[in-house]
Amino acid sequence: MRRRFTAVVPIVAAALLATAACGSDDGDSQAADDGPVALTVATFGEFGYKELYAEYMQLHPNVKITERITKTEDHHKNLAAHLATNTGAADIEALEEGWIGQFTAQPSKFVDLSEFGANDIKAQWPEWKWKVGTSKDGKVIGLGTDAGGMAMCYRSDLFKKAGLPTDRAEVSKLWPTWEQYIETGKKFEAAKVPGAHFFDGPTVMYRSILGQAPVGLYDGDNVVVDSNPDVKKAFDLSAQAVTSGLSARAEAWTPAWNAGFAKGTFATLACPSWMMAYIQTQAKDATGKWDIADVPGGGGNWGGSWLTVPKQGKHTKQAYELAKWLTAPEQEVKVFQKYGNFPSTMTLYGDPAIKDFKNPYFNNAPVGEIFSKSVTTMKPQYLGPKAGDINTQIINGLTRIEQGKQTPDQSWQQVLTDVKALL
Amino acid sequence: MTQLATEERVVPRRGLLHRLDVKGSPYLYIAPFFLLFLGFGVFPLIFTAWVSLHDWSLLSEEHTWIGFGNYTKLFDDPAFWNALWNTVSIWVLSTVPQLLLALVLAHILNQRLRGQTFWRMSALIPNITSVAAVAIIFSQLFGRDYGLINWVIGLFGVDKVDWTANTWSSHVAVSTMIIWRWTGYNALIYLAAMQAVPKELYDSASLDGATSFQQLRKITVPAIRPTIIFTVIISTIGGMQVLAEPLLFGGNGLTGGSDRQFQTLALYLYEVAFGRFDFGYASASSWVMFLIIVIVAAINFGITSRLRRS
Amino acid sequence: MRRAFRRRPGKFTYLVLTAIAFFSFFPLYWSVVVASQDNSALGKMPPPVLLGGNLWFNLKRAFTMVPFEKALINSFLVAGSITLSVVLFSTLAGFAFAKLRFRGRNILLLSIIATMMVPTTLGIIPLYMLMAKIQWTGTIYAVIVPAMVNGFGVFFMTQYLSEAVPTELLEAGRVDGCSTIRLFWHVVLPAARPAAAVLGMLTFLTAWNDFFWPLVVLTPEDPTVQVVLSTLSAGRITDYSLALTGALIAILPLLVVFVVLGKQIIGGIMQGAVKG
Repeated sequence: MRRRFTAVVPIVAAALLATAACGSDDGDSQAADDGPVALTVATFGEFGYKELYAEYMQLHPNVKITERITKTEDHHKNLAAHLATNTGAADIEALEEGWIGQFTAQPSKFVDLSEFGANDIKAQWPEWKWKVGTSKDGKVIGLGTDAGGMAMCYRSDLFKKAGLPTDRAEVSKLWPTWEQYIETGKKFEAAKVPGAHFFDGPTVMYRSILGQAPVGLYDGDNVVVDSNPDVKKAFDLSAQAVTSGLSARAEAWTPAWNAGFAKGTFATLACPSWMMAYIQTQAKDATGKWDIADVPGGGGNWGGSWLTVPKQGKHTKQAYELAKWLTAPEQEVKVFQKYGNFPSTMTLYGDPAIKDFKNPYFNNAPVGEIFSKSVTTMKPQYLGPKAGDINTQIINGLTRIEQGKQTPDQSWQQVLTDVKALL
Repeated sequence: MTQLATEERVVPRRGLLHRLDVKGSPYLYIAPFFLLFLGFGVFPLIFTAWVSLHDWSLLSEEHTWIGFGNYTKLFDDPAFWNALWNTVSIWVLSTVPQLLLALVLAHILNQRLRGQTFWRMSALIPNITSVAAVAIIFSQLFGRDYGLINWVIGLFGVDKVDWTANTWSSHVAVSTMIIWRWTGYNALIYLAAMQAVPKELYDSASLDGATSFQQLRKITVPAIRPTIIFTVIISTIGGMQVLAEPLLFGGNGLTGGSDRQFQTLALYLYEVAFGRFDFGYASASSWVMFLIIVIVAAINFGITSRLRRS
Repeated sequence: MRRAFRRRPGKFTYLVLTAIAFFSFFPLYWSVVVASQDNSALGKMPPPVLLGGNLWFNLKRAFTMVPFEKALINSFLVAGSITLSVVLFSTLAGFAFAKLRFRGRNILLLSIIATMMVPTTLGIIPLYMLMAKIQWTGTIYAVIVPAMVNGFGVFFMTQYLSEAVPTELLEAGRVDGCSTIRLFWHVVLPAARPAAAVLGMLTFLTAWNDFFWPLVVLTPEDPTVQVVLSTLSAGRITDYSLALTGALIAILPLLVVFVVLGKQIIGGIMQGAVKG
């Protein structure tokens, strides 16, 4: 009985797999370009494409676009399920920076966009943005939409109380390097501003420092957490900031952190461009208190997305055309003006619409210029398949230090074993 | 069997049809469950068993056969054992108070109250409330610096507790969430069973001067024993599969705290499957988890039956 | 209702109940508070406990952003069908397991209980393949049919009926020449009503709140309520006032159903079929 049972299982499973695998057109039966085409675009958050879809449908009367928007985690889990079963994915699927490494490591599920000539538009993007959207073997998986960039947000009112300069040029001069940032922090703490600490907590700081290295968690195929000095440096600096008592211990994304923006429990926070909107909604009444300076250590990035075309789609060519159009500089600038998503396309950074953009909430900080600078000077770093999980382990390690459970050395040792366990 | 024999003796002339009815109808009544389960439950089970023998990423076309590789890896995986231990600990901390409270609550609700429907509704409200709201409220309650709970214990001169940071405190917090969400649910199940207890029993007990608590112990509990066994088994099964509460408590982090201090088995499974997309390993964990639940439930059932007999 | 000798609950009972109700309702009340403010409300310490004036505005936003009407109809169809089916089939099967004798009864009941022990998270992938095969993806059948029976319901009804239906009553019916199905109809169903009401409520609730499977198998063009909620809380910046407004819209129908049905069902069954 049992033997027969085990023999049946593989057959059934194999049969199902075989049928599942041929559930998609491999693009041989591409619909003619002028026939009616229905395209679905699955995004998360706010890509700001609503008006663009309408415009595209006007330009191409034969195309009908449907959009699907879900929560970031839901979107990526759902996409994984749809890719695994080779059915159900949208024609265009967006990917977020934190997840894209996992997907580009398995390029077989996506159309290599260079087949449709994507390499001709490569020059639109900074090198790092292009590289993250490309698989190790050079297949072009995703076209960049927005970028996070990196700056340093600070509370000028708290700086004033601590006797630090408040003018953003002066403030930027305080911390060309992260070491100087920590020194500034010590001065801030010495002033004992009531109810306030220098920075929010290690998560954002670690991510920012790591993002500035030419080589991060991966060197080619190899995870180099244990041998890459730049990873250790990002960890050590963040740990040092914590052990020096600079941290408000407000863990990123928790209610305490959210409340901190309005209450002023922390005076600085490394912030990508999308963080601006976040701060504005969390601290409505703090207009003019927050300001933006350069981030220590030069260019950096956190966040941003890419558009991909899953292989299982019926109209991959038309999907690519749409993705190409949506990510073109002309469109990205429209999105920026209406929704504030910072463009990742290079040609824009000279564009006055971007360059001269100032944000009144942040004391009229020239945010266009600040973020442009950080995005263009960013070094291309390869995000491997498990980058997200490894970062989680490292940030957990920093949190353990902050919670007083471990010394930095103990914590780092555990990080190394935890990361090994992932591989 | 004796029952059947008497029936056939009493009604000898109701031949074939009657016998068919007696013998066959039970199978007819349970058929819908088994047919639907065969249709939609068995294939996923077999399929995950098959997947668990492979190196199988959700995103990859390549599925390499590795036999029991995933299983051996699992037994050397400290994160798995840690999750198992957390699950058991949280399960004990949450299930016992939850069922006792549910019993008392059901007993209170089983009186002739003014505004009956309202009180019953309020028992189920925690289970209806959206998880987003629950997550925010509880992280406020258990906040380190501004949390209400720390403020209250501070009044008694107790130091602030960093609820998420430590193992025991995070288990207490997660268990509190579970108790809050599921006590009313079980209370309603008990209440349904209590409705079948003849009212006269209570009336005569009242006349004899039995207190409410005595009535609960002497009349209600023995009368609804099968339902109590039911909730114990259900809570065991449910408790071994706790996922939402630790996920919410950790602010949607999949690792359940900085040191995995409150990561449950189900959460670990979730992390592996939909965080790392490692479908093969997750399937193996899933099967091992299934076996563990079977064992725990069996032990549990054994204890409950023993109690029933004694 | 005959006048019973039971003591009426005293003040203390109501005090305890009020405390329980307060703890139960507070998060729900608080979601109304946040839904009536804007997103910065959560950034305030201490958090607000009074209603703001934004509820109407947030409701309008929620309804324009996602196809809520369609989602509500779908959710009612899904939860309603699942509830009817689960209650009916569970009562039937529970009757068989509790009161009828047949070969393999215990092992079959155990196997039903075992189905509850299977972690369901991963079943989503193979189940989706199956649905794609029979071309049900994107339709609500894919959400309804797999949930039409469950071990919980069968086990629950088995345990309940084993104590609520006196065997003598059934035997008497047998002697009178009733067929099994007539016994079911005239003896078991009336006795099962309190349990059926509770099972119905819990099933409806579970079906209504189910999220991950509908998210994978349905399209946002034809979603259930929980799926559109994901759209409302999308974004790197979760707008909690909007998300909780959506959650409220998703909860209100539940409350209405429970209050109306709860009164109907519970009201009529204070005296079961059992005249002890």
